[in-house]
Amino acid sequence: MSPGIDLQGSFIQLLTSLGLPPQLAKVVWIPLPLLLMLISATVGVLVVVWLERKVSAAAQQRVGPEYAGPLGTLQPVADGLKLLFEEDIIPAQADPWLFSIGPALVVVPVFLSYLIIPFGQNMNITDLGLGVFLWIALSSVAPVGLLMSGYSSNNKYSLLGGLRAAAQSISYEIPLALAVLAIVMMSNSLSTVDIVGQQSGYGILGWNLWRQPVGFLIFWVAALAECERLPFDLPEAEEELVAGYQTEYGGMRFALFYLGSYVNLILSALLVAILYLGGWELPVSVDWITSLLGLDPTTPWLQVITASLGIIMVVLKAYLLVFLAVLLRWTVPRVRIDQLLDLGWKFLLPVALVNLLLTAALKITFPAFFGG
Amino acid sequence: MLKFLKKVGDYASEAAQAAKYIGQGLSVTFDHMQRRPVTVQYPYEKLVPSERYRGRIHFEYDKCIACEVCVRVCPINLPVVDYEYNKAARKKELKSYSIDFGVCIFCGNCVEYCPTNCLSMTEEYELSSYDRHDLNFDSVALGRLPYKVTDDPMVTPLRELAYLPKGEMDPHGVPDSARRAGLRPEEIIEKENAEAPVEVE
Amino acid sequence: MNLSEVVQLVSFGVLTLLMLGAALGVVLSPSVVYSAFLLGLTFSSMAGLYLLLNADFVAAAQILVYVGAVNVLILFGVMLVNKRQDYQRETGLLLRQLLTAVVCFGLFALLGTVTVITPWQLAEGVTQVDSSVIALAKHLFSDYLLPFEVASVLLLMAMIGAIVLARRDLLMEDPETGMPAETDLALPERPRETVVGE
Repeated sequence: MSPGIDLQGSFIQLLTSLGLPPQLAKVVWIPLPLLLMLISATVGVLVVVWLERKVSAAAQQRVGPEYAGPLGTLQPVADGLKLLFEEDIIPAQADPWLFSIGPALVVVPVFLSYLIIPFGQNMNITDLGLGVFLWIALSSVAPVGLLMSGYSSNNKYSLLGGLRAAAQSISYEIPLALAVLAIVMMSNSLSTVDIVGQQSGYGILGWNLWRQPVGFLIFWVAALAECERLPFDLPEAEEELVAGYQTEYGGMRFALFYLGSYVNLILSALLVAILYLGGWELPVSVDWITSLLGLDPTTPWLQVITASLGIIMVVLKAYLLVFLAVLLRWTVPRVRIDQLLDLGWKFLLPVALVNLLLTAALKITFPAFFGG
Repeated sequence: MLKFLKKVGDYASEAAQAAKYIGQGLSVTFDHMQRRPVTVQYPYEKLVPSERYRGRIHFEYDKCIACEVCVRVCPINLPVVDYEYNKAARKKELKSYSIDFGVCIFCGNCVEYCPTNCLSMTEEYELSSYDRHDLNFDSVALGRLPYKVTDDPMVTPLRELAYLPKGEMDPHGVPDSARRAGLRPEEIIEKENAEAPVEVE
Repeated sequence: MNLSEVVQLVSFGVLTLLMLGAALGVVLSPSVVYSAFLLGLTFSSMAGLYLLLNADFVAAAQILVYVGAVNVLILFGVMLVNKRQDYQRETGLLLRQLLTAVVCFGLFALLGTVTVITPWQLAEGVTQVDSSVIALAKHLFSDYLLPFEVASVLLLMAMIGAIVLARRDLLMEDPETGMPAETDLALPERPRETVVGE
């Protein structure tokens, strides 16, 4: 396994060679990947919004956005600008402080979770030892924001939506964490880089999908529920709750919710790609190809190609999963709240526990296949 | 123990069945994605309304005898008929006539019962306005002829399903010369006349 | 003093102020909902303090358990029982407040003396643990095994207790007919399935 290119190392080296102390060089480096991630996450949202509109239109035999930019690609930008210029309204009886903090509290943890998403061996913001656990911890903060905005809107639909959202994310966090735990047990590390590293070397055959098929399904279902995507979009069920906790929101505050939900969807898709679909690994192992062609894996141009292929692979896998989510949206009807909780507590939780036990047993019996 | 195992087995098979149905549903949705859009791109394409379309009501001022039948048959007595009785001519003289299309339900009763056929249904359906009082049409507005979709150079007129050739489902790309399925109204009359010759009294 | 130390000091000051302010707000705020939200802020700033101590796993667990679970549960409770009733003046309020103040101050004094008299061994050569998760796990499964297991048994007991309390399978049988009687516990629109059928 070649380490690939180390952007951080090269950047710091460049600055120190210009005469900056290494510590200061590192301080200069820190905001760069953060900014890059923030921008790419926002651009990713624009792409997903466009994709969702187009795929939804195709599934319903419509055309979808067509006139804003080529093939309507600028439609999400137009949406964003429209929300940006909207009047900033706080309902008269609402609690202005909680009303304003709520959306921020929903969005910030989602963006923070991008810290742990790797696009290559050294292509991430930080390789935290904490890894996926950070994501699980951060995603548990969002319900506080949802409750906050639901409560402060002074609207019964908002309150009900907020309560539903919180109940839903608490219930589905447990199967989600158990599914992740099985993966972590196999790769002996919480770090996302290590998890991908453990899947590498055998191309598509080495992916966790084959070793954890049940875990994959549990994770995907629970992730959809965490993102409040359609079979599980009860908190904002239009037919019953107007728009749930978003009812009273408009303009930029609503845009934050909108952005947050789509960023969360991409995040979940990225995490599925990393945990189960081999992250930046190609379906055919790169090492195998290079050795077949007789190339040195440390050649600079080869490293650039591998790194960009890796980024493309991660994004491609994530967008395939987003496509699946959109398709699911137009296939499966919304579940009822009791069905939702039944599915979470009575089906996913026991199955996830059995899956965890099985993984532990298999790990002890076949350490070669299930990570010793 | 066996009973419990059977329960677990049943549950598992039910879960597998549910998964199968979701898979089938997904394949249906996926199949729909490669079908052609059936929608009409409204401001640029418009459907030609059918012959019996009940659109905005047209009113001919000169034919009206101010009998107020339209008011009586209207479910909500909507038409406003203002007339003056001319004693010399012993006739009602119509002064103004108006229908508020913000309230009208386009049931067509007035058209049905009008003794002089001064009311008729048009194919006009684009009645949006910035002020709902603009929808209160007076006799002048009611007398305007509707704008035909086929005359508009900005609009691609499309035919409805009933006016398409046999076997054709999509109005896009069907040539204007293609004849609709079935007989045309005048042909039906002709056929009926041929079958049953008109009785002469 | 280099850059990282300055950053650490400033963050320590900010986090401490935030924590103390939020904790005071929890106690002094007249609105229960505000108190609950401020409690979340207190927990979060505590997690920040853990982070400053290089205990990243503990910090994340603090967020997950205290902010994500405990605080949300408290909020749930507050929002489901949001009765808008006025604060009633009770008799002997002064005495109660005085008593509370004495108890609280005693507790504070106790904790304060403990912190003062405990010899905090600030070992010079603190060994840099490369992964706090592994170090924690080793401790949990060797010298802290008993407390760990006892805590899990306690949680299990709490869970079973909660289930027993929440489960309403009380079937009142009509003494004359022997059939399950109508109870006030049943939902008006959807009758509960009876356990007799099994």
